[in-house]
Amino acid sequence: MDILTNLSLGFSIALSPYTLMLAVVGCFLGTIIGALPGLGPSNGVAILIPLTFTLGLDATSALVLMTAVYYGAMYGGRISSILLNIPGDEPALFTTLDGYPMAKAGRAGDALVISGVASFVGALLATIGLMLLAPMLARVAYLFGPSEYFALYLLAFCTLGGMASNNQAKAAIASCIGLGIAMIGVDNTSGMPRLTGGNLHLYDGVDFLVAIVGLFAVAEVFFFIESHGKESSIGVKLEKVSVPWKEIILTRWVMLRASAVGFIAGILPGAGASLGSFLAYMTEKSIAGEKGGFGTGVAKGIAAPEAGNNAAAGGALVPMLTLGVPGSGTTAVLLALLMTLNITPGPTLFTDRPEVVWGLIASLLIANFVLLLMNVPMVKIFVRVLQVPPAILLPGVTMISFIGIYSLSGSYFDLLLMIVFGILGYVLRKLDIPTVPVILGILLGGNMEDALRRAMVISDGDGWYLFSSPIAIGLWVAAVLGFIAPMFLRGFLKKPQRVTD
Amino acid sequence: MASDRIFGLVMAVVALAYIASAFQIQVSFLSDPVGPKTFPIIIGIVAALSSMFLVFRPDPEPEWPAAKTFGALAVAVTVLVLYAYSLRPLGFLLPTAIAAAVLSYQIAPRPRYAAIAGICLSGGLFLIFKYALGLGLVPFPAGLSG
Amino acid sequence: MKARIFKLFLVSALLGLGVSIKAHAAECIAPANPGGGWDFTCRQIGKIMYDIGAVDKPVQVTNMAGAGGGLAYNHVVAERNDDADLIVAASSATSTRLAQNAYAGMTADRVRFVGAIGADPGVIVVAKNSPFNSLGDLIGAIKAKPGSVTFAGGSATGGFDHMKPLMLLQRAGFTDIRKVKYISLDGGADAITQTIGGFTQAMTGDMSEVVGFLKAGEIRVLAVLTEKRIPGFESIPTAKEQGFDVVAVNWRGLYVPKGVSDDTFNIWAGRLQKVADSAEWKAAMAANGLAPFTKVGGDFQSYIDEVVAEVRKLSKELGVIQ
Repeated sequence: MDILTNLSLGFSIALSPYTLMLAVVGCFLGTIIGALPGLGPSNGVAILIPLTFTLGLDATSALVLMTAVYYGAMYGGRISSILLNIPGDEPALFTTLDGYPMAKAGRAGDALVISGVASFVGALLATIGLMLLAPMLARVAYLFGPSEYFALYLLAFCTLGGMASNNQAKAAIASCIGLGIAMIGVDNTSGMPRLTGGNLHLYDGVDFLVAIVGLFAVAEVFFFIESHGKESSIGVKLEKVSVPWKEIILTRWVMLRASAVGFIAGILPGAGASLGSFLAYMTEKSIAGEKGGFGTGVAKGIAAPEAGNNAAAGGALVPMLTLGVPGSGTTAVLLALLMTLNITPGPTLFTDRPEVVWGLIASLLIANFVLLLMNVPMVKIFVRVLQVPPAILLPGVTMISFIGIYSLSGSYFDLLLMIVFGILGYVLRKLDIPTVPVILGILLGGNMEDALRRAMVISDGDGWYLFSSPIAIGLWVAAVLGFIAPMFLRGFLKKPQRVTD
Repeated sequence: MASDRIFGLVMAVVALAYIASAFQIQVSFLSDPVGPKTFPIIIGIVAALSSMFLVFRPDPEPEWPAAKTFGALAVAVTVLVLYAYSLRPLGFLLPTAIAAAVLSYQIAPRPRYAAIAGICLSGGLFLIFKYALGLGLVPFPAGLSG
Repeated sequence: MKARIFKLFLVSALLGLGVSIKAHAAECIAPANPGGGWDFTCRQIGKIMYDIGAVDKPVQVTNMAGAGGGLAYNHVVAERNDDADLIVAASSATSTRLAQNAYAGMTADRVRFVGAIGADPGVIVVAKNSPFNSLGDLIGAIKAKPGSVTFAGGSATGGFDHMKPLMLLQRAGFTDIRKVKYISLDGGADAITQTIGGFTQAMTGDMSEVVGFLKAGEIRVLAVLTEKRIPGFESIPTAKEQGFDVVAVNWRGLYVPKGVSDDTFNIWAGRLQKVADSAEWKAAMAANGLAPFTKVGGDFQSYIDEVVAEVRKLSKELGVIQ
């Protein structure tokens, strides 16, 4: 067995008491970084890269530490989503939808355990997928040209209507706000700035982290000032933390399906973990139907996005390692780390430097197990966050957000922008307009436009080019179905769900 | 009812302004078939249409807070804006302590408790970010620490 | 809870994991997000400077993304003009944008360019099963039917990658350059993927971006845009020997603020020269497909002036700027 030989090579490199210790430390730091709003996996890894130099780590140890931080941050993002309705990073956005309602019902511990197990399953399956299929899967990227990407993004936006509030128009407005913001900045295709008002800070567009932290964390503070901490998850009487075996077993198929969806989304460069968890959530929501109660705090609604985003994080490593194309912001940073270690990912990496690839895979497996073991007992610590009085917790979260964003660019402009997003978030939520589509619009809007314009350059403006491959046509059909289905289903639905709560 | 209508109207106006500014986008010599204007204009039109829909089919009125609460929110926004501007010139510790204390007071109005919370948060967060995460934060005004 | 996490942090800090950045350690600004060429320059040069003892503390890398490097440029000019501990990563993209007035009208003489210590040669690449066997074939096909070839590249329209095929075509006597189709992707690797997938006919980029794909046999390099063939890749012909006299390399180097003393400038130039001479840098260059290209000190400043003048002239001819 080739794989077993390779894997034992990997473990012989990555498994030693010292690297295990590094993995534990990395997982811990990563979890904390992921949980802090504004500090996501990408800046987490970026911040800690200098640490590997200061400690004088060799390539393998550096890789172990950084993959541990990477996976730790992916795990950690869910914690603040569930406890405070503030996503720690963008892929954890969809975990707020069911995680927070569950925490409000006093089941924060259960939500954390379920999401932890789902993360583990997603990450484990993705690592196995990476191990078995990476060289083959790399070819999938060759099948996706501009028209295929355009159809993929279209699919995401068409299914948004089905998730959002009881008023379709409100979901549409929210998406448009996000898309409109995504247009700001230097236009990739023409190289000219658009809609910036001449402001240099806006040339690179609006950073989605600024938007997330503003719309969620800052807006949350405004709500607390209004309500003085009532009607939130904080201070809710907690049930005893136990492992909810029944619900975990109940969600086994959800986790498997969501992992598959997330992994595929992760493989496609440019789609990334957010799209992975979103598609996983939407798939499970439509499978469960109205009786599934998605959005009200059900186990499946937590398991799906978490398995999805962790699987996507693993999937994103496929194009990064085999093509040198980073599928997400975080893999871009890992790519940078590899390059500073004089390792250039590309099609020959698997054959040229097997020790690097299999060492990395082994460290992913190690990190994953460490995280599972660490997370379940640590849930008891995390849920106690909710016992901290809001008058300390909320100012703390705000200050952390400010520092996190400030560390991105060192400019007060982003901070002001974040406050504006906070006010916007407050108004939108008051009016029952969902904020999730705003983020998705900012994340994917630019890519969607770029894909369309590239397709039109290639085809000299011939619209039929958008339907020129079976993959593109398949995605278009799915998109149209995703858009129309909720309209027909609407007649059968008695009480539409609120997700903006 | 009224809130949704007002919001719909405001958004419609914003969308029209957005479309107008999209028409002003500079087009370079080497343009592509779609051009930099098309997509923003489409977004503006969709936004305007959905906003008008909201004007005619509004949802029930949400529960707005009393005028006094709006005052408190305005104070919070002002504090945060001032905080954003003061981080660089005044260093980390002092502005953070003040901003955190004000927010704390606004959530639970107990002055001494808020002051202590502000000072502890400021000091604690500084230690965490500076020493555990290695961010290059400046603790004091530039003139003092050199 | 807060207290407990805090204690854990303190413990980890005491374990030696906490890194305190001293006030006077040198800082290298990478004017882009982690992962790109500028980030590589800062991290690699900073690491080697520390490893070979040219600086006594690790160089702290700050990422300051914005406006294609313009935000960092403005920041240095406006706020750090006399900071002796500051270096900033630069490349051909920096000089191209300065030449095209893309840094809000800032000119190249607002900072001091210390030097370049390596260059990434420009390449024109096709998929392995492409009908084009030489640069002449490709250029001929475009001259006959401009719409039949789309180039993919990692820089924005009007950027350095876009300029390369246009310069070649201009030398070949093709003047209707607005008919040449180019799509900009999020990086060289993305552009290659699209070309191998058959969505675009050719890719324009840097050598380092294509090395892996070349070794894997997925692509063919039609031409490299250097004076001479590159060591290690002797089988690839230059554009010059195929009759298209274009040299375009993406140099990697540094600039420092304008207001520093001549002594400081010379210290940095000396440190950079040490890095250029080190075995570590040679290994890093080889691993990343960079060709030797060392110009340090006053020499480099005049090179920059030349390049900026040439790109400005070309951009006007091409209609990228008025």
